[in-house]
Amino acid sequence: MGGDHGVGAAVRAAASVSLDRDIGVLLVGDQAEIDAELRRQRYDASYLSVHHASQAVGMCDNPRAALDAHPDASILVGARLVSEGAADALVSAGNTGASILACARHFKTLPGVPRTALAAVYPTERKRGAHHDPFALILDVGATLHCDADTLVAFAHMGSAYAARISRNPRPRVALLSNGEEANKGLPEIVAAHERLARDPHLNFVGNVEGVDLPRGKADVVVTAGFTGNVVLKMLEGISETVVDLARYAYRNKLAWRAGLWMLRGGILQLKQLTDWRQYGGAPILGFDHLFIKAHGRSSDRAIANALKVANKAVQSGLCEQIAEQLSEVGSRS
Amino acid sequence: MTVPHIYRWDLDKTYLQTDFDSLGALLRTAFQRPADKTNVPGSAELLRALRVESAGRALIYFVSGSPKQMRGVLSEKLRLDGIHFDGFILKDNLGNLLKGRFRALREQVGYKLPALLAARRHAPVEARETLFGDDAERDAFTYSLYADLLARRVEPEVLEQVLDLAGVYPDGREAIYESLGELAECDPVERIIIHLDRKSPPIRFEAYGPRVVPVYNYFQAALVLFQDGRLRAEAVGRLGTALRSHYDFSLNMLLRSFQDILRRGALTYDAARRLGAQAVDTGIDPAVVELFAAEARNASVVTPAERPQRVPDYPALLKREQQRHAIEKARRKRRRRWL
Repeated sequence: MGGDHGVGAAVRAAASVSLDRDIGVLLVGDQAEIDAELRRQRYDASYLSVHHASQAVGMCDNPRAALDAHPDASILVGARLVSEGAADALVSAGNTGASILACARHFKTLPGVPRTALAAVYPTERKRGAHHDPFALILDVGATLHCDADTLVAFAHMGSAYAARISRNPRPRVALLSNGEEANKGLPEIVAAHERLARDPHLNFVGNVEGVDLPRGKADVVVTAGFTGNVVLKMLEGISETVVDLARYAYRNKLAWRAGLWMLRGGILQLKQLTDWRQYGGAPILGFDHLFIKAHGRSSDRAIANALKVANKAVQSGLCEQIAEQLSEVGSRS
Repeated sequence: MTVPHIYRWDLDKTYLQTDFDSLGALLRTAFQRPADKTNVPGSAELLRALRVESAGRALIYFVSGSPKQMRGVLSEKLRLDGIHFDGFILKDNLGNLLKGRFRALREQVGYKLPALLAARRHAPVEARETLFGDDAERDAFTYSLYADLLARRVEPEVLEQVLDLAGVYPDGREAIYESLGELAECDPVERIIIHLDRKSPPIRFEAYGPRVVPVYNYFQAALVLFQDGRLRAEAVGRLGTALRSHYDFSLNMLLRSFQDILRRGALTYDAARRLGAQAVDTGIDPAVVELFAAEARNASVVTPAERPQRVPDYPALLKREQQRHAIEKARRKRRRRWL
């Protein structure tokens, strides 16, 4: 339990999800704090339980040092409970580094996965999959800052499996993020990864994409190293927030602009909904034998509830098993 | 002669899964055949268990806001469920309508309080009571007020204030005062169980004290009734089995419900331990008992503080209930913000 909104947002999210009577939620954290919030909420006790953890890792704590100093930290206890089978997936809005490290301590990395990847979805112009999903997937966005070619190839497979299962897109288009479309453009590891992905029959590899192609939706899965991915993702979020802020400013400042915005309200509402990161439901960490969904640190209860729903969808669709299967096929072939 | 224990049940949303939140649903409910009416999961099984466990010393009464015209259908439904009841009070909605008393159609305090007090006049003074209601109306309020009125813990001016706030008609007031005049001082209500049909936050019921226990399902109710000495471990086990086999409850759902009622302090750890010990003796799978014990250990870190039973501030509570009702109504009307 964690995030900028503290225990409250997580408890409210779990309470609201429990009312759908579809997902059982196990809240891990300080029981007294959880119960104090829970008694104020509408929830269904048949779908919600609590596991007490006496310690927590702060958002600004050094991940390794904090986990070493707090063996009963909620994120460590949560990861342990998932590894023991008490729950099927872990969702947290807390300290990203500590969350990934806690998973690394209790989960196993799937065979053929050199490093795990933090994936995130972002809105695009193009719709895809059975549900006409406007979201594309980008990975890694911060778990592995520098990647070699092997890692980028594994990310491509993991992202493809995720898009196939979650977006119901049977043959997602996979691309590498680079500074040019040509196969020889980019850092040496990107060139090497391009060469291998182009020969891979399990993937629908569409080559390199540039930054300008991301919002256009040229690819369904964009593969990159964590450092670049994180910068790209934050920039996309920043742009959408700025657009909404500008619209609010216009609405407040001039009657004519207000009238114009009122006439455009249907479209603006749709755009706002599309670019609202709270809709996405968090970023999955791919490559472990269990699923971890990292909700945004700023996550409201609605965002965490969506993260829980995404986790449920991934578990129901057997995502981790699918990734393991795909990677083992790649391993046996090579 | 042994003293009976009285169980008073509300019907809609407590015993039956009734939907009267819209006009269409209300009409559907009115024309439903007895066999088509659906129980709240476990309600019939719990009632039958209470009858059996009491070895014939239980008296079961229904006090419902359903119209009198429904008596035939509802009685038939109870007969189909194998429920033998000792009394059935229904509301004279048609009479209220013809007299133009529209407030009385919705207001429950002015109907249920006189009905409960009148029914109590026929019970032995020593008879204890367990009351069942839900969170859709004001059952927790009405039942608590009934309990405190019998025990003479409510001052006459406070009662007068409540009746004013609830808009109780003169004949209703008269009936209340007449029954109170006839009834000897007693403190029979040992438990009020509120089925959380609308999943109202538990904090809403804390002001009523520990006597009122909100429950999410009848497995939780059975656990509380075990603690009260009204059910044996075997009956709790049977109810759990019935919920699993007839109502799609999983073992995990029962475990979570068990943990929840422990965490809320409505079931004591001592009672939970007794339940575990007796469950093994009655042949319940020890592995299942161990799962419940593990759930209790998991939740045992923070023991909720015991709350004393105090007389609530009834006028303030009723005002709060009325305000909440108005807010909920306004919320439904509020237009969506678009920017």
